[in-house]
Amino acid sequence: MRIKVRYFARFRELTGTGEEKIELPEGSKVRDLIEKIKELHPKFKDEIFGEDYDDNADVNISRNGRYASFEEELEDGDIVALFPPTSGG
Amino acid sequence: MLTEKELERYDRQIRIFGIEGQKKLKKSKVAVVGVGGLGSPVAYYLAAAGVNLLLIDEQLPELSNLNRQILHWEDDLGKNPKPISAKWKLEHFNSDIKIDTFAGRLTRENIREVLKDIDVIVDCLDNFETRYLLDEFAHEKGIPLVHGAVESFYGQVTTIIPGKTKSLREIFPIPPKKKENFPILGATAGVIGTIQAAEVIKLLTGKGEVLANKLLIVDLMHNSFEVVDLEG
Repeated sequence: MRIKVRYFARFRELTGTGEEKIELPEGSKVRDLIEKIKELHPKFKDEIFGEDYDDNADVNISRNGRYASFEEELEDGDIVALFPPTSGG
Repeated sequence: MLTEKELERYDRQIRIFGIEGQKKLKKSKVAVVGVGGLGSPVAYYLAAAGVNLLLIDEQLPELSNLNRQILHWEDDLGKNPKPISAKWKLEHFNSDIKIDTFAGRLTRENIREVLKDIDVIVDCLDNFETRYLLDEFAHEKGIPLVHGAVESFYGQVTTIIPGKTKSLREIFPIPPKKKENFPILGATAGVIGTIQAAEVIKLLTGKGEVLANKLLIVDLMHNSFEVVDLEG
């Protein structure tokens, strides 16, 4: 299945793109998509996830305009957006 | 009752929400928590609209604050805490409103005393620890909380309404790591703070739609305003 991924703010700079399509096997979850994005974009992986998988990584995700968790299952044609939470004031 | 002077001063916005709306603003008191990059435009525009304020911050203005914290000027550096620095200017700007200050840090111990008789809380903080404290207090008292945060050319806004929307902790269960000296442009804080001020005016007058269960994500670097649905 094919997922459209959109990157916001700093993630757009780290991946070098605002939007791309990613192929995933049927039954993939948001978590699998993130793994694929880490493979495709080493800068994103290094900056956001460090050496290993990090559950505390600063990544917020929406799927088809709704807030989504890492465990949510994806469907063909989904639009997934990744954005970093900001904390300054 | 509004005075003749107030009717003239607020004429252009009374055309939006009527005299009744303006009376609601006059009766209200809004806490601006953090009087820095976000707090400056929030307090400035709420003062302009005729809203009574409580300004909260424990820091003194520093030179490196001035690229964004537009309520603090060179003359204020190292002198008075930010709420006092801001109060003086806002009182000269609008003598109709009442401005209270608390020059200290909000804690679990003092929050009930400091934030008593508040209608809306505006989160202009730079850390999630105190944000969670505001979130808990807002839920305890059933007071709306307008959240804003910025970094570099980016920012986010959402309005928490206890009993209706997700809490801030539900939206951001893992606090983003606090960064000292994070990059920030004044104009970004201006955009996000101004949106927060508009949220407050909508809450107080009951006009329009607030960002309830919606997260606005602004990316000024790439000209995008995205609203993410937080329900479900």
